[in-house]
Amino acid sequence: MTELPNRILHLLAGAGPGYLPARASSVAEGVDQVFLLLFWVSAFFLALIILLTIVFVLRYRRRATRLHPEPSPAHSTRLELLWSVIPLALVMALFVMSTRTWIQMTSADPGGDPVRVQVTGRKWSWWFDHPSGKGANELHVVAGRPVELILSATDVIHSLYVPEFRLKQDAVPGRFTRLTFTPTVPGSYPILCAEYCGTDHSRMLSTVVVHADQASFDAWSKEGLPADATLADLGKQVFAEKGCAACHSVDGTRSVGPSVRGLWKRHEKLADGTTALVDEEYLRESLVKPGAKVVAGYPNIMPPMPLEERELKAVAAYLETLAAEGGAPAKGEETKR
Amino acid sequence: MSTAAVAVRAPAHETGSYLEHGRGVRSWLFTLDHKRIGIMYLVAISACLLLGGVFALVLRMHLWSPQGALVSNDAYNKLFTLHGAVMIFLFIIPGIPAALGNFVLPLQLGAKDLAFPRVNLLSFWLFVAGAIFFLVVLVVGGVDTGWTLYPPYSLESARGLGILLALSAVVLTGFSSILTGVNFIATIHRMRPPGMGWFDMPLFLWALYATGVIQIISTPVLGITAAMGFLERIFHLGLFMPEYGGDPILFQHFFWFYSHPAVYIMILPAMGVVSEVVSVFSRKPIFGYRFIAVSSMAIAIIGFLVWGHHMFVSGQSRWASLAFSFLTMLVSIPSAIKTFNWIATMYKGAIVLKTPMVYVLTFFAIFGVGGLTGLFLGLLATDVPLHDTYFVVAHFHFVMVGAVMIAFLAGLHYWWPKMTGRMYHEGVGVASAWLVFLGFNLTFVPQFLAGVLGMPRRYATYAPQFTAHNRLSTVGAFVLALGLVVALAGLLHSLRRGRRAPPNPWGAASLEWTIASPPTHHNFDETPRARGPYDYSGLHEVSEDAGWVREEGR
Repeated sequence: MTELPNRILHLLAGAGPGYLPARASSVAEGVDQVFLLLFWVSAFFLALIILLTIVFVLRYRRRATRLHPEPSPAHSTRLELLWSVIPLALVMALFVMSTRTWIQMTSADPGGDPVRVQVTGRKWSWWFDHPSGKGANELHVVAGRPVELILSATDVIHSLYVPEFRLKQDAVPGRFTRLTFTPTVPGSYPILCAEYCGTDHSRMLSTVVVHADQASFDAWSKEGLPADATLADLGKQVFAEKGCAACHSVDGTRSVGPSVRGLWKRHEKLADGTTALVDEEYLRESLVKPGAKVVAGYPNIMPPMPLEERELKAVAAYLETLAAEGGAPAKGEETKR
Repeated sequence: MSTAAVAVRAPAHETGSYLEHGRGVRSWLFTLDHKRIGIMYLVAISACLLLGGVFALVLRMHLWSPQGALVSNDAYNKLFTLHGAVMIFLFIIPGIPAALGNFVLPLQLGAKDLAFPRVNLLSFWLFVAGAIFFLVVLVVGGVDTGWTLYPPYSLESARGLGILLALSAVVLTGFSSILTGVNFIATIHRMRPPGMGWFDMPLFLWALYATGVIQIISTPVLGITAAMGFLERIFHLGLFMPEYGGDPILFQHFFWFYSHPAVYIMILPAMGVVSEVVSVFSRKPIFGYRFIAVSSMAIAIIGFLVWGHHMFVSGQSRWASLAFSFLTMLVSIPSAIKTFNWIATMYKGAIVLKTPMVYVLTFFAIFGVGGLTGLFLGLLATDVPLHDTYFVVAHFHFVMVGAVMIAFLAGLHYWWPKMTGRMYHEGVGVASAWLVFLGFNLTFVPQFLAGVLGMPRRYATYAPQFTAHNRLSTVGAFVLALGLVVALAGLLHSLRRGRRAPPNPWGAASLEWTIASPPTHHNFDETPRARGPYDYSGLHEVSEDAGWVREEGR
């Protein structure tokens, strides 16, 4: 709270054109040019409106010495046409400039052998299937190499938004949308969800990693588990990559969904009053058809998340280790819900 | 209620005013008097403003810290949904036309009532029914869909009774809005007095006319869309939900086909108020009357063709986006024309800085920002990054809260003496105008900045880099609320303690100021002779208590 005054100063100093986020895609500069031109045009007209208002109020205020208005025309077709045509010309010029940039932003052919990534939005994480066959909950691309994202969603509408790229595209269930871009600056940038999608909309965060070169990307792509990894290690990785942790904690903390700590082989109370044993069959059903057996006290909101057989076994093995390590669930958390 | 009782209770000057015509609750609830219905609307929408405002303050307090300071994510989502729905459907849309318009429209026409007084009462009660449905939604647990109700989210199985009630509420308030529009249009067509041609009407009437046109053309689409949502939710017809073979984008087209023109339902009456006030308080005829009148109709017509600018990143066709962007640029021009005409009206005037005028002066700056930032969202290149960020939140609050609510307050203070027969306190009124202006800017300017940096809207939690923006905004919201409380207190105080209002306290020239304040039940004893609504020649101020009087023959 004490730093607030400093922040206000910082904010004021930063306000204006120098304030835009970093640029990290080939279209960002074009977008910023339109933005800045419009910013200055707007600033000019706003200043004009405010200035004329202030000057007129000071100059033409009604006073004892100035009770009546001075004679002046009640209309002037020439003047009115002038202030119709000039703004019209300006906005049309801006429209042409904006459209030129937008055509680049949404170009059907990004050129240069684009990398095609399938993107799936779901409550509340992103899933990226890269052409190498590697799936991940973050997007990996290479600087300078055009990318084509094919987006869809499993449950509701989400919107993939990267401020540094100046790009955004809705992911709509039941149809495919596309987004093309060429990343320019290596680094990591946040991916946000911009279309309201429920409880954890604001936590539906991911990252786009822009690799400096193909070699770095390939290294990530081949990255695997160490040779001596167990099935539970793989399960832990699947749990992380599929975004399960967004709703299911591993330490007993209550979140959107039940924690998975101490869950394995437990008899869970269900919303319909019955109980169910948490085993492989329950796990499989809950992933394919999450609404079938909802744990009492939690909303029925999980999207279907089918896993490969191998992944399913691995997750089961991982959950088993959590039961062993965790022992009894944290007090007052799981069993009472 | 004997006549004797009236005579004893009522002060002499009030005898026979519409306020005294009939006593008891029933005489209000079933009244056919447009003035009383206007007052009832005013009370109802003020209550809704209060409710929506409390939601807003809770939201702003929650956003004090990045992780959310107050409520759960789900509670936050319900709060912003109801804040939006209450403010839009129950305050901003009916605000100026139904409350002020109902009161003023027949008076400006020299008429005894609206064309269809019973329809007017029905319209009010439909509005109340809709408002009650919204309140019931609150009680049964709330909806968390956002006021835009986009499927699939809004129609998912988890949202049951609440969403059906909310859709019903939307239909009810929509019907109310259509009936008001029909009534206004019929009244303006049929009941103008002898000598009042179309281009002799006060501009407020032009604004209400253009508003009525939008209301009767676009609002049925909202009703149909809500009905389709209803059917989809219950019978799974496959209209909007992909899982039944429907298309969620189709819903967005329907929704914005109403909801974009609805923005003009809000802003056109506001522009009408500004046109009246700026002329009266500059003591000069409005500059470029015809351009302002015609631009209202131009906005009403072009406003139907721009809905797709809400969908540039939805996956709609690129050609559609291109056309919608172009038309959005066009619709900005009539607004620009109006703004320059208003400012030209002050040139060489004799400007009086009473409360309505102070509100209107702040309107110029705020409407300027709101309109100009609209261009950023109408242009394809800049809309893509800014869409669904706080830039949009700030923009539409500048237009809908800044411009519309401030014009509402200007109009309320302007017509208050006519409505109540009392003068509000000028000092308090002017103070409220400046507090509202200051608080408003402090609330929403930081939101523009956060949006440009990439903070999406409808976020219950946010990245720490936006802490300062959000805290400034929260402080601003409380200053804004204080301004509204001061305005309310000043007005309520005047009901008991205010000076008695003369028929024409401002020296205005339109017909409502030629009759007593408050008017009698029948408004005019005989149909008045229309004269120029901005003809101030011959008006002179007798004294503060006696107001302005026209010397005939000058």
